[in-house]
Amino acid sequence: MKIYLSLMLLFPLFGAAISSLFGRKLPRRLVETIACAAVWGSFVCAFLAACTYRAPEKVTLGDWLSAFDLLAPLSLYLDPLSLSLAVMIGFVCGLIHVYSVFYMAKELDYARFFALLNLFVFAMLTLILAENLPLLYLGWEGVGFCSYLLIGFWYTDKRNADAGRKAFITTRVGDTALVIAVAWLFQLTGSLSITQLNGMAFLLPGGVITGIGLLLLVGAMGKSAQVPLMVWLPDAMAGPTPVSAMIHAATMVTAGVYLLARMFPLIGGSATVTAAVAVTGGVTAFYGASCALAQRDLKRVLAFSTISQIGYMMLGVGAGAITAATFHLLVHAFFKALLFLGAGCVISAMHHEQDIFKMGGLRRTLPLTFWCYLAGAACLAGLPFTGGFFSKDSILAALWLKGGGLYRGLYLLALLTALLTAFYSFRMVYLVFCGENGRPHVHAELKAMQWVLIPLALLGLFGGLLNLPDYLGGGFLNGFFARLSGGAAAEASHLEELALQGVASVLALAGLLAAHLRYGGKARAQRLKESALSSSALTMFLLNGWYFDRLYHAILIRPYQALSGVLWRRMDEGVIDDSLDRLAAGLGASGSWLGGWTTGRISVYIFSFAAGGALILGYLAWLTL
Amino acid sequence: MTFDFPILTLLILLPLCGSLLTLACRRSDLAARRVALFFALAELAVCAWICLASLPAAPAGAPAGFFLFEDAAWIERFGIRYTLGMDGVSLIMVFLTAFISAIAAVVSWKGITERIPLYFALLLALEAGIQGVFLSLDLFLFYLFWEAMLIPMFFLIGIWGHGRRIYSAVKFFLYTFFGSLLMLVAIISLYLMHGAQSGSYTFALGQLIHTSVPYGIGLWLYAAFLFAFAIKFPLFPLHTWLPDAHTDAPTAGSVILASLLLKTGAYALIRFGYPLFPEAARAFTPLLYVSAVIGISYGAWVAFAQEDMKRLVAYSSVSHMGFVALGIAAWSPVALSGALLQMVNHGVTTGALFALVGMLDERTHSRELATYGGVWGKAPVLAFFFLLFCMASAGVPGLNNFVGEFLVLVGTFRVSPAAAAGAFLGIVLTLVYTVRLVQEILFGKEKKPLALADLTLREGGILAVLAVVDVYLGVHPGPLLELMKTPIALLTGGK
Repeated sequence: MKIYLSLMLLFPLFGAAISSLFGRKLPRRLVETIACAAVWGSFVCAFLAACTYRAPEKVTLGDWLSAFDLLAPLSLYLDPLSLSLAVMIGFVCGLIHVYSVFYMAKELDYARFFALLNLFVFAMLTLILAENLPLLYLGWEGVGFCSYLLIGFWYTDKRNADAGRKAFITTRVGDTALVIAVAWLFQLTGSLSITQLNGMAFLLPGGVITGIGLLLLVGAMGKSAQVPLMVWLPDAMAGPTPVSAMIHAATMVTAGVYLLARMFPLIGGSATVTAAVAVTGGVTAFYGASCALAQRDLKRVLAFSTISQIGYMMLGVGAGAITAATFHLLVHAFFKALLFLGAGCVISAMHHEQDIFKMGGLRRTLPLTFWCYLAGAACLAGLPFTGGFFSKDSILAALWLKGGGLYRGLYLLALLTALLTAFYSFRMVYLVFCGENGRPHVHAELKAMQWVLIPLALLGLFGGLLNLPDYLGGGFLNGFFARLSGGAAAEASHLEELALQGVASVLALAGLLAAHLRYGGKARAQRLKESALSSSALTMFLLNGWYFDRLYHAILIRPYQALSGVLWRRMDEGVIDDSLDRLAAGLGASGSWLGGWTTGRISVYIFSFAAGGALILGYLAWLTL
Repeated sequence: MTFDFPILTLLILLPLCGSLLTLACRRSDLAARRVALFFALAELAVCAWICLASLPAAPAGAPAGFFLFEDAAWIERFGIRYTLGMDGVSLIMVFLTAFISAIAAVVSWKGITERIPLYFALLLALEAGIQGVFLSLDLFLFYLFWEAMLIPMFFLIGIWGHGRRIYSAVKFFLYTFFGSLLMLVAIISLYLMHGAQSGSYTFALGQLIHTSVPYGIGLWLYAAFLFAFAIKFPLFPLHTWLPDAHTDAPTAGSVILASLLLKTGAYALIRFGYPLFPEAARAFTPLLYVSAVIGISYGAWVAFAQEDMKRLVAYSSVSHMGFVALGIAAWSPVALSGALLQMVNHGVTTGALFALVGMLDERTHSRELATYGGVWGKAPVLAFFFLLFCMASAGVPGLNNFVGEFLVLVGTFRVSPAAAAGAFLGIVLTLVYTVRLVQEILFGKEKKPLALADLTLREGGILAVLAVVDVYLGVHPGPLLELMKTPIALLTGGK
């Protein structure tokens, strides 16, 4: 097991090292081959680890940080949660690497691209497999760093670089909360090991657990783009599309969900924390879906839908259904990567046009992309019997079964969101693929890129098989995760389960129908005409993500910038430095005043001498008195 | 094995001799450079030898934890002794000094064109002074070296500096000199008190720590020490000499200033301040906390506003050294380990950043952020290193600064959650100014057409060595932590 785990991490790390150090000297094909081979090697290791997996296992590879009683070795932990994610990451990232070879075929700076892609896989796997919190944080920051550079990959355009910076700083806010939680846990328990901490929940007072849980939630908000730290994700679409698929859809952005699931045995005991997680998830799910309704940029639609879908996963964690949340995480990774890669094909065919109102007709010119994209959209919309249907439903069911006013309310909100999701999914499909008004350019790379979509489409459509409902024979994940805390599935009668799924199906189909009525057939042309006119205030509100950017700009960024100048000019140079300069000048002046004594006139010296002598004599006289 | 060779004296004499020999190379600049580099490397080799050699546990008469010790009578009338000692902490600092001095010599290989022998002689003299500070265990000797460091640095800034170099050099000199005068008064008072109590007048650290100082007087004496060290550190609000000195110093001067001179303040606080006045130090802890926490955020915030790269890095030093001060203030084993590690990390990373800024400056004769942009496309190797050191500076894990900051924060939180809480803000603010720097220099379009060649072999070599150290310390700080374990345990009374 040790060899599998170390190789799983070393392959992409070496790939990154080779590409970054020698990549510019090596031939292109070699760099591409090394990058892909590294990730697929990693996947094979993950797969072999899964085949030989028997029971949760802790593997120590070496020593990292040890100062007195603070111990953070390079140790990994393999359990159903980390294993299933590692396999998924290896597979999806492997596919995306292959796709990138074709997508970036014309890019000159391929070495930097593949180095960062490999490094990302390394960091992501470290995050997933880490057994202690500092190591997890290494992966956590590592993925953030790769994300920063990959969003700004085309750095000569200032907007791309700005988007990368925004992502890095916003997620850092969350990361800081994570560090505080780590420091607090260490203060309380003297341990940083995740397995040990998870076993110590009963030792800690409830209030402390709530505090730590909330800090971890803030950490998760940053990475997983949850309200209110979600502003970076839509802008992150400035990066190359494979990057959006890999980092900002399938893997990195779900790290927050993973963190909460990982630490669930510790924080799950606090009702406040689970409620806060659920509310965050519910609000974010709705927020994302509502914004996706009005987007015009294909990738921004998908970005907001990612925000929304991660909200569902948070809802699952908040309802205490770790299995359901992980199930959705896995299936979402497949279909969202599929949608992004499909979008990459579309954008590449449309000469890098991203406005969905300027697309159309791709159903006939790119049939393979169309069918795969349709599969992805069906999963996203939760059409019955797709993978997305089962995974989303297991979250909805968990919410319903949790009971209580809050969770029932969230259930209704999630249902409403599901309706919106189905609507915007098919709005996108109708606008991009139907009608006539597009002139796609089908090039050789595009043909190759399309093939990558097929395995993802199959996994998305049949991902439900991972965890079928009980009435269809029960699920694999339920059994696999049964021994995790929060992993056991909630008990529901078959009838109740069928009823819940019935409601969800009806809503998904209703969303599809609504999209068809508004964007299908003849209505589509009408919408295109409308889109050229000015939009309503509501549309603008949704298009701009509820104006959160403007709010943050006004209350955080502007004051920070302005104050930094004031601090420097007024405070540092003005008050502190100036007062000292004045002191020095004052001393200098008094020095020259004293120097004025040295006149060279004998009379002054004699007078001074006499006065000094008199003073000394006086002092001596006073002493002897 | 008995070990009688005075290796610690060698550590001080080697650069000093090098300095004199370099000065003698009046004829050939190249010879001066080579002699200087030879002595700097020889010093480094001696340090490496100390690390590798398995030295006998403790020489006779050495205080606990010291594995090299030299003691000789010097000015017996006043009880002044020539006492040098090396424990794990000194070894780390001495090694860092030798390493950075060698780097500084190579950094100034081409950039310095005037009075080359004198320049390199001063560089080596500075190294000797710093080594003396890190090795002295006699307060008088320490004070001597402490002042001796000032003089070469003053000339380095004043002669080879840029801009308002005289102003900056004088400012640097007056600030530090004022602080050290107060310290001298405190040292002499302590000397007299100890002599009056025990009858033996001595400056030996090992004996002075046994002086029973009345609490009220101890506060004053400690305040004088702290003031001297805080200026060197520099702690908020005594930091304003630093941006000026850095901005106007030659590149190697900035490197040594940031990497080594600032460390002497922190080192002296650990070695002398706390052991001599434990009670007073405890009383001053809240002040140190406040100053450190403000310094971290304030330095980062002001750094964000800078237009001059060098000033930006200088303010970042104020922020980073705040973490060191925080770890010292906490005075717990974990936090203190973090502080010492952070001293090394800051030395390497910030030294590298100053070297990089110098390289950019040599090419374009501008340090204004507004001049640059799109450097990634023009000089990818330079950009690679620039990014690496910026990320290290921003505390990205896997690189060295993270390890130190993490230990400081976690260790401080354990002792004083309130103080640590203030410092956490620094994690965000540090990133904010760092990515601004990266963005303005590396990304975007070229703002002005720049003739920007990529790194030469010499420059690439310097940065590669520093980068390897950065990564090594970030991934495997174990050996360093192991070295400092015994001294820290003895200092803090920890396990």
